[in-house]
Amino acid sequence: MPAPRAFSFQRVAFLVQHTLRVEFRQGHALIGLLLFALSSVYAAFQSVGDDAGAESWNALIWIVLIFTAFNAMARPHADDRPENRQYLTHIVRPLEWMLARTLYHWALMTVLAALVFAAFSLFLGTDHLVGGRGWWLFAGLELAGWALASCLTLLAAIAALAGAGFGLTAVMGLPLIVPIVLVATRFGNDLLSGLSGEETVENLLFLGALAGGITAFGLVLFPYLWRD
Amino acid sequence: MNHRGFTAVGVALLLYVFALVAWVPLGPGLVEVMADEQGQTQVIAHGTHFASSPDQLRIFAGTQDRLFPLAFEVVNDHRLLLRPEWPDTLHKRSLDLYVQSPIDGTLSLGNAFFVESAVLVPTHRYAPVDVLDGSNQLGFHFPFQPQIFETIRNLMLHVPMWFTMFFLMGISFAQSIRHLGAKTLGLADERAVTSAQTGLFFGVIGLVTGSLWARFTWGDWWVASDPQLNGALVTVLVYAGYLVLRAAVDDPVLRARISAVFNLFAFVLLIILLMIFPRFNESLHPGKGGNPGFNTYDLDSSLRVVFYPAVIGWILLGMGMYRLRLRMESLSRRINRLEP
Repeated sequence: MPAPRAFSFQRVAFLVQHTLRVEFRQGHALIGLLLFALSSVYAAFQSVGDDAGAESWNALIWIVLIFTAFNAMARPHADDRPENRQYLTHIVRPLEWMLARTLYHWALMTVLAALVFAAFSLFLGTDHLVGGRGWWLFAGLELAGWALASCLTLLAAIAALAGAGFGLTAVMGLPLIVPIVLVATRFGNDLLSGLSGEETVENLLFLGALAGGITAFGLVLFPYLWRD
Repeated sequence: MNHRGFTAVGVALLLYVFALVAWVPLGPGLVEVMADEQGQTQVIAHGTHFASSPDQLRIFAGTQDRLFPLAFEVVNDHRLLLRPEWPDTLHKRSLDLYVQSPIDGTLSLGNAFFVESAVLVPTHRYAPVDVLDGSNQLGFHFPFQPQIFETIRNLMLHVPMWFTMFFLMGISFAQSIRHLGAKTLGLADERAVTSAQTGLFFGVIGLVTGSLWARFTWGDWWVASDPQLNGALVTVLVYAGYLVLRAAVDDPVLRARISAVFNLFAFVLLIILLMIFPRFNESLHPGKGGNPGFNTYDLDSSLRVVFYPAVIGWILLGMGMYRLRLRMESLSRRINRLEP
């Protein structure tokens, strides 16, 4: 049976729904991610105490976000088993699968970035986030989370296809996320060292452009991976 | 042209480059102004010929269009003793030093003096001075640059490494596109990996020569937060990741396909990192403040006649190495076919 010829958003929606259902049914996977994010924040809090300087605050929140993202994207999904993939190649188009996976990871990252931000504000304090800077930083975290999600979704798909796990995603991914990390940390540093959000908004736009560009590129390239 | 042709032309060009790098002298320049043990002001210079025409030397302080002469004594070819008698009125407190000589031309040292004792009148003008024309009578020499001094010769080693690496990674990128476009496992995949390996070799040498250069000009082996250093290191790591990815897959068809996808993704992110990023960041590299490449003012004609052949020579040598490796691969494939 050949793959369907036309792109359909219904199938994308179905795939997202399906992934969500599988993840919730498994339960421990999502709970594990939340626990990982919370305990990393708590470890960060223990290492700097509750009066962290702006620089450590900024450095730690991005490090925690990066590791949370790696943990969330690089783990093997139930769908990635070869027999599942074999079946999926017959019922969906690769673009649909990639779009669904990216959207699911974006949703996951939205929640995780919000959680990291909330936990950071709770434990490490909001002393550096006066005057509406909290909202700007939150926007930056979400955009960086989406950019990381797009990048790591493609790399995790490559690693899954190669039959290797977390290690290979890390080897390929850590250098490639450097552009995102550089823009994100500069944005956070500007904000926490006293600039207003408007003054460093070009970094936020740059993060958005990276998220969009990487997603588009992943969607273009993924069908080549999928081909049999 | 086969690998021997590329290598021969490349090596010939590089022999010319290394001969010039080894034998061309550095031009004259002022290194610093310092107070010696007796409290006298000394000017330290490099590559100058003060002692051969002490009477025709002229020393000025001031800024470009407002100069006044300084009294001096020649100690030797590279050393002057100044006896500054500062005017009562100055237009600026920090002054540049200009030394004019018929042999060395006009040499200058920015902000050589800071004078606190005078009255400051920004519109003040001094008595007109008699200035030589700035040309020199020296033979072919490399330009003297503050901080860089003799290490300017490293330009022919360090910079072409990145040109060569980019050239080879470009070949790798193009071959990966060709592989994804083709339906079968052809030679494109082998070309992509071989050029990436050769390019990685040049990238590592680029990092080493850059680190050495940084040690002797910027004072440290590695400088944090320089966008070009980040970009260079990340490039090397990404292509190392590419080779790790290839090593992780056994099936050659699958390996070719997924490593080609990774290669395209990596190359585009590298373009962002190396071409777009440095334009938005401060860098210690020449041509800083927006332009990651060369500033036209940094390369004078004496450097050009060595630098351009060096770039072409290294690229040809890289091509030769790449072709040689390809030939090695195809021969070992033939041996494997014959053996059983």
